[in-house]
Amino acid sequence: MLEPGPAVTATRPPWLAWLAGLGPMLIVALIAAALYWSLMLAANLGPAARTLASGAELDCRTALACASQLRNPVVPAPAQLAQGFARLSTPVTSPLALPYNVGVTAGETVLGLVLATVTGLGLALLLVASRSFERATLPWLVASQTVPVVAIAPMLAVLLGQYGVQGFLPKAIIAAYIAFFPIAIGMSRGLRSADPLHLDLMRTYHASGAQTFGLLRFPVSLPYLFTALKVSVTAALVGSIVAEISTISFSGLGKMLAENSRASDTVALWVIMGYGALLGVTLVALVNALERWVTPWSRR
Amino acid sequence: MTHASASPGLPTSPPQNGPPIVSIRDLQKVFPVPGGQTVALQDANLSIQRGEFISLIGPSGCGKTTLLRLMADLEQPTAGELLIAGRTADQARRERQYGYVFQAPALMEWRTVLKNVLLPLDVMNVPGDRLGRAREMLKLVGLEKFERNYPWQLSGGMQQRVSIARALAFDPPLLFMDEPFGALDEITREHLNLELLRLWRETGKTVIFVTHSIPEAVFLSTRVVVMTARPGRIEGIVEIDLPHPRSDDTREDPRFFTHATEIRELLKKGHA
Repeated sequence: MLEPGPAVTATRPPWLAWLAGLGPMLIVALIAAALYWSLMLAANLGPAARTLASGAELDCRTALACASQLRNPVVPAPAQLAQGFARLSTPVTSPLALPYNVGVTAGETVLGLVLATVTGLGLALLLVASRSFERATLPWLVASQTVPVVAIAPMLAVLLGQYGVQGFLPKAIIAAYIAFFPIAIGMSRGLRSADPLHLDLMRTYHASGAQTFGLLRFPVSLPYLFTALKVSVTAALVGSIVAEISTISFSGLGKMLAENSRASDTVALWVIMGYGALLGVTLVALVNALERWVTPWSRR
Repeated sequence: MTHASASPGLPTSPPQNGPPIVSIRDLQKVFPVPGGQTVALQDANLSIQRGEFISLIGPSGCGKTTLLRLMADLEQPTAGELLIAGRTADQARRERQYGYVFQAPALMEWRTVLKNVLLPLDVMNVPGDRLGRAREMLKLVGLEKFERNYPWQLSGGMQQRVSIARALAFDPPLLFMDEPFGALDEITREHLNLELLRLWRETGKTVIFVTHSIPEAVFLSTRVVVMTARPGRIEGIVEIDLPHPRSDDTREDPRFFTHATEIRELLKKGHA
C-alpha cells in the first residue's frame, strides 16, 4: 500500500563535504593573491623610485626591489604583512595586541546584535499589530537610518556618559542602533507571510490568536529573521568599529585603527582590516550555524 | 471526546436515520466584485444524513467550494439557513464538529509528519495520550514509518494522506474535503479513493467531498450533488446504488456507467 519513499541520497563524510565547499573560495583567494602581487608592485614603484632618487639609505638598489621594502607602503608586500601580523598578534594575551582587541569588538558586536534583535522583534510585533503604529513610526525608523553613525556616535556616547554608561556598553548600543532596522523590517514581513490556507486551517481548529501566532506566524517568520540577522551582524560589526573610532576608546579594532592611522602605519592598518574581515566572516558563519540548529526542517 | 473504533468488520456504513447532520435551506452567497456582484451560490437546498458520503461535483465557478466553505464557517452566507449537527456553522466550528482537508496538503513544513498530525490535538488541548492518538492516525493512513520525516520528503499523495490523518485526529463527526486528490496523478488518485472508502467505513464519518471528476464522485459517494455555474446552483442529486464495500470491480459495474451518464446529462443541462 505504500508509495515509494524518499530517495536515499548518497552522502559524503561531513569533513569532505566541508572541504569541497571551501574549494571555490580557495580558488578566488589564489586569483586575488596573484593579482595582489602585481597591484602591490604597480602601487609602490613610484614611491620607491622617488625614495631612491632622494638618496635615502636603503638596502635595495632598483625601484623594483625597493617596491616590496617601503617603510609605509600603500599596499604592503606579503612578507611585510606577515611581519606586521606577527608584531600585532603577540603577545596573545596583551591588551595592546590584536587578539584581545578583536575580542572586545566581537563582544560589543554580539551584545549590540542581541539588543538589536530584542528591539527589532518588539518593533516588528508592534508594526504588524497596528497599521496606525506603522504609519506613525515607520518614516521615523527610516529617517533614523539615514543619519551617519559617525555623526550620532559621539553624541550618543556623551549622552550615555552623563548617566554613567561608559566603555563597552555605548559601543554595543551604537551597533544596535544600525542593526535593529533590518530585523524590524524583515520580521514585520515574516510575521505577515503565513499561508492563507494555514490561516484557514487554524480557524477550523478554532485556534486562539496566541496559538496562531506561536504555532504558525512565528515559525513562518524564522527564515526572514535569519536573513535579517545576517545583514544585521555585519552592520553591527561596522557600527561597533565606527563607534570605537568616533568615541573615547581604550580598546577594540576601531581604537587600533585610529591609533595606527595617526601613526601612518599602513601595514598595521591592513592587518587590522584583515582581522576585522575574519571576525565578520566568523560572525556570519555563527548566525548560519544557529539557523541550521533552529530551523532543521529547511532543505539545504 | 470518544474515538470511533476502527474495527474492520463494520458493515457497509449505510446512511443512518434521524435528524440530518447537515441541513441547508435557500442558502445564498453573493461576492461583491468591482462594478457589481457575483452570485457564487443561489437557493441551495440540501439535507445530509449521518454516515453519508456526499460528493459535490461541477465545473469551476459552480459554487461547490463556496458551499463547503460556508459549511465550515470559512465564509458567511448572504441569505438562507445552514445547520451543522443542529447548530449554526459558527457554533459547529467552535465545537470542532468537522475536519477540513484542503486541495493542497497544507502541511506545516517546520513540523515533522507526526507533529503535523499532532497539531489539532495540541491546539484543542485534547486530553489523554495525544502522541498515541497521532500515531494511530498515521497507522490508519499507512504512514507510521514516516513519522519523523519532514513533509517535503514525502510524495504529494503521501502528504495528502498525512493531511487526512490530521483532519481525523480529533475525531470530528464530519469530514470536509475540497478536491483533496485534484493535484494527484490518476493512479495515485484511484489508490487513495480506495483508501478513503476504507477510512470512511472504519470510522463511520460523514464525508462531504468536492470534486470535478465524475468517475471519482460515482465511485466514492452514496449521493452526488451536481452543481452548475453562473449562477452557482444545485442542478440535481444522484443517488448511487452501487454496493459496499466497493473495489476496483465497482468501476466495471454497468450501474457505474449509468450513474456517470446521469451526472453528465445533468451537467450538460446546466450548460444549455
